[in-house]
Amino acid sequence: MIGPIPLSHVLLASGALFAIGVAGALLRRNAIQIFLSIELMMNAANLALIGYGAALGTQQGQIIVFFVIAIAAAEASVGLAIFVAIFRHTETIDVNKINLLKW
Amino acid sequence: MERLIFDAAALVAIVFAGLMVAGRDPIKSVLALAVSFFALAVTYVLLLAPFIAALQIIVYAGAILVLFLFLIMLLNVGPERPDGVRRPVQTFLGSLSVVVFAGLLLGMLRASGARLPGQPEAVAADALPDPKALGRLLFSDYLLHFEAVSVLLLAALVGAFVLARRENAQ
Repeated sequence: MIGPIPLSHVLLASGALFAIGVAGALLRRNAIQIFLSIELMMNAANLALIGYGAALGTQQGQIIVFFVIAIAAAEASVGLAIFVAIFRHTETIDVNKINLLKW
Repeated sequence: MERLIFDAAALVAIVFAGLMVAGRDPIKSVLALAVSFFALAVTYVLLLAPFIAALQIIVYAGAILVLFLFLIMLLNVGPERPDGVRRPVQTFLGSLSVVVFAGLLLGMLRASGARLPGQPEAVAADALPDPKALGRLLFSDYLLHFEAVSVLLLAALVGAFVLARRENAQ
């Protein structure tokens, strides 16, 4: 219990969000939507970390989430730069059409 | 009351995450994910993490998603169109693994009963960790990690610049 909120609700919400993220990453073809799904999965993990941190009465969970957010920002900038580079070569970001390593 | 608000916010986050995955238009996906992130920020406040909630709105909704929107508009990415190239094996295997994964998650949650080892007592609201204590912890015990992240961000900055540069621009 975190105040009146049961931890199981937090974990269920986190699991549902993560499963939706997995579905998006596996089933979408647009690289941007796959990337958004990955961001969603990170947020699901963050929710679980904060829930456990609050339930255990420590700050460690929030510290980890702080670092996860910083790393997500770095990841987003590099990933989007890769998309720009790929788009310059192939004029598409449909992952089914990006099937060559070298042009 | 707090429990009700938490459930409502979590539900909004899940519904809009579903919309994000289901939609074909990337711009609508990004906007749905922004709503989902705002709802998640509400749950963070209820889970006694107001600083992280602010970071969520400023960094995730404010910076990262705006970067996505900017890129979608820059590249002029339209909606994914059904072009007749169906990949039934890919769709089937993807759906199957999602179902298996969700089942595993549920099973694990049920098996653990979402219990915690020791520490069953509730955290009082006045024990709310304020940003001051968080910052003190960050700059004492986690100083090395903090500096490592700053180097990582610098590396990402340089990497993004190099990757997105035009090769023949002199």
